[in-house]
Amino acid sequence: MANVVAFSRNLPSFRALKYLSSALLKYQHTSAPSQCSSKTQPLPKKQAVEVTFIRANGERIKATGKEGDSLLDIVVNNSVDLEGYGACEGTLTCSTCHLIFKKEDFDRLPDKPTDEELDMLDLAYDLTDTSRLGCQITMTKELSGLEVQVPATVNDARS
Amino acid sequence: MGVFAIFAMLRTQVLEFSWRLKIECRRCKHLSPDELGHKLSADVRQRLANGPGLQEFLSNPSRNWDGYDGKLKREKGESERLRLPPWLKTTIPTGSNYARIRDQLRQLNLHTVCEEARCPNIGECWGGGKHGSATATIMLLGDTCTRGCRFCSVKTSRAPPPPDPSEPVNTATAIAAWGLDYVVLTSVDRDDLPDGGSHHFAETVREIKRQNSNILVECLVPDFRGDLDAVKTIADSGLDVYAHNIETVESLTPYVRDRRARYRQSLKVLNSAKEINPDLITKSSIMLGLGETDEQVHQTLKDLQVAGVDCVTLGQYMQPTKRHLKVVEYITPSKFHHWEEVGNSMGFLYTASGPLVRSSYKAGEFFIASILQKRKVTAK
Repeated sequence: MANVVAFSRNLPSFRALKYLSSALLKYQHTSAPSQCSSKTQPLPKKQAVEVTFIRANGERIKATGKEGDSLLDIVVNNSVDLEGYGACEGTLTCSTCHLIFKKEDFDRLPDKPTDEELDMLDLAYDLTDTSRLGCQITMTKELSGLEVQVPATVNDARS
Repeated sequence: MGVFAIFAMLRTQVLEFSWRLKIECRRCKHLSPDELGHKLSADVRQRLANGPGLQEFLSNPSRNWDGYDGKLKREKGESERLRLPPWLKTTIPTGSNYARIRDQLRQLNLHTVCEEARCPNIGECWGGGKHGSATATIMLLGDTCTRGCRFCSVKTSRAPPPPDPSEPVNTATAIAAWGLDYVVLTSVDRDDLPDGGSHHFAETVREIKRQNSNILVECLVPDFRGDLDAVKTIADSGLDVYAHNIETVESLTPYVRDRRARYRQSLKVLNSAKEINPDLITKSSIMLGLGETDEQVHQTLKDLQVAGVDCVTLGQYMQPTKRHLKVVEYITPSKFHHWEEVGNSMGFLYTASGPLVRSSYKAGEFFIASILQKRKVTAK
């Protein structure tokens, strides 16, 4: 019994409690976030990018993705109807993601093709001077609005 | 009136009765009989009345699929996937044989094309069945290929792991355990290896023959990029049937197969195998349903005949995953029968043709086995 009394004497009084709690609340509203939460910054929102795929029969397919996605990622994530696209899943072992760019787009692509990419490109059907493999092209903000031509697929070849 | 129609009538009557008693079913959205009648068009009601009765679901379904009226062909420009016709539906693989083979393969670190390429016949072949003992087509040189064909779901990589040196012995052990008299071996393409994997393949054949000299071995080999030394290694290894698939007609080959595979190259490989070892039976396979015309298929059969191919199989292309080529046309079983007759009239030793027929078709193997046994007997 004596312990309880001692305990209750040590507790701050009700009025004191009220003062403390309101002060804490004010503190929460006015202080900078870094003082009472973790130091890490929230991830910056990735910029959305747009690409238009022009099929051999003239059909235009618009697809969206995020900055840092490769063109193969955009095709897969949007389930763009390009048959057998990306058969090797981006390992530079086939040429099914072959795309044809306009000259000015081809020149402003940030990365030049590696030897492996050129080897696979050599095998591609309808190869042009402005051809690249879609799995190696990473989208940036500047490239948004890109228009690429898709070479003929089996659907175009059949009678 | 079938039982189905009687049931439908009873259901309508129950509904009517419940409405009269003002009993409302709160679980589902019930329509009153008047609404029900108006919801179904006269055409649909007609089809329901003429549709399957209970009998169709009880006994074995009829094998005549001529009455199937679903969409079987995708015209140029159409992008929606076709529904799978009933003659291609297979059962889910289960059973003790299936489990036994699967566990054995995992223990021995072996791969099969049955699993990797998602063959629909896996349940039937691994389970054994009316054709006899269970079998699987072992895929040598790993489960990762160095080519990416648009119809195949086998994994692709630029630099797959090196082949397992104990694979020939493990394969021979597994096959001996299954007690087969005819076995089919296949492999992935290994363009990263200097010999294309041909020595490893040949060693496996020799090991199998060493453990059981009576077993007949069929090898479904890659084209080794046209390397005739590699073809010779396989052709001289002691196998009985040399198989290499032409896959499709000439004009569609660039769009269907990997670009390193070529129509003329494949024909040359088949021809060379025959020239190197005239005792070999050569075999090839065509997938139908990718948009080829009858004339093109006919021409391909003629090209195979000129290349000295003895056996040919024709099967339906089925899309293995969402990412692969969509089926352009589902060829009917009667059309496959027509191709079988064409093949036989052209003088092939054996023509296996059917929607689910694949390169290592079991009944065909029985036939080929009998030919080879006969030859052995006459040679003695």
